[in-house]
Amino acid sequence: MTMRREEMEELGLLKKLEKVKAPPDFEQKVMAQVSLRKRSLQQKRTAFRLSLAGAFASLLVVFVLLNVFVLQKKAPLGVSPLKKDIAPASENVPRAAGQLIPVIETLDYSTEIRSRSYEPQTIYLLEQVADTTPKGIKY
Amino acid sequence: MDEHELIRQVQQGDEVAFSQIVAAYKDRIVNYLYQFTRDYQKAVELAQETFIRVYFKANQYRPVGPLSSWIYAIASNLAKTEMKKMRRLPTVSLDDIVAHEVDENAYAEDPADPGLLKNLREALNVLHPRYRLPVVLKDMEGFSQEEIAQILKKPVGTIKARISRGRNFLKKRLEKALAGGRVPS
Repeated sequence: MTMRREEMEELGLLKKLEKVKAPPDFEQKVMAQVSLRKRSLQQKRTAFRLSLAGAFASLLVVFVLLNVFVLQKKAPLGVSPLKKDIAPASENVPRAAGQLIPVIETLDYSTEIRSRSYEPQTIYLLEQVADTTPKGIKY
Repeated sequence: MDEHELIRQVQQGDEVAFSQIVAAYKDRIVNYLYQFTRDYQKAVELAQETFIRVYFKANQYRPVGPLSSWIYAIASNLAKTEMKKMRRLPTVSLDDIVAHEVDENAYAEDPADPGLLKNLREALNVLHPRYRLPVVLKDMEGFSQEEIAQILKKPVGTIKARISRGRNFLKKRLEKALAGGRVPS
């Protein structure tokens, strides 16, 4: 007795195999599982957010502590021990009240020189020629 | 209501729409998974997991094919993983399986020819999952070859070849069983 493939298909033998159905409480179980996983997911998300916030907060605290106790001591420039309204430049020169404070500024002349190809390098030094005291800007 | 509309509502978190999908597909999915596990409880567990994934991964669904293909794709992936696990575990004899399947008979339909179908069942059980999945999807669930290709994420040519080889294997096994006189005439 032989069975051709076409016969098997026509008979639909596979369709005749015993079929099982879902149990009556299947939907309730699925819905319960969904609710349970939703809650669990929510808890995980909350825990993740809290841990993330905690991590950032602790990083911030570490950063502030480093700034206050470690980095400030190693800083190359210190704060002048003098009062804020007195400039630290002329400590050796005794000053009277109301006296002008000389300000020394560094000047970069390199930007004043134009390109070699156009003009010869010329540095202009401007000096005061008049005897009168300039009354323009006081520092 | 249209299936695409239902899944769109599920994407928005509508549990009523989700329960309608579960009600529509639960028997088909449990039966489909049972064809691979041969363990009713395991099939029910996997079917539950399938629907849970449908709910939580609803946003990944794209309406390029029927909803059933997408649900079967999830179930197929779970079935494949389960079969891999089963292959790693020690095997149990068919008699033991039958002894454990008392519970499932409460839900089973009476077959017309138990002898022939028993042989077919045994042949299907030894068929490699690579061929069993497309054969079951084609001959039991009634999907087209294109839909099966979509479910299993394989080219249509591969699916055609696997269905053909799977059927040939079943045919040979049945012929062998019939020739051996195992089936009462």
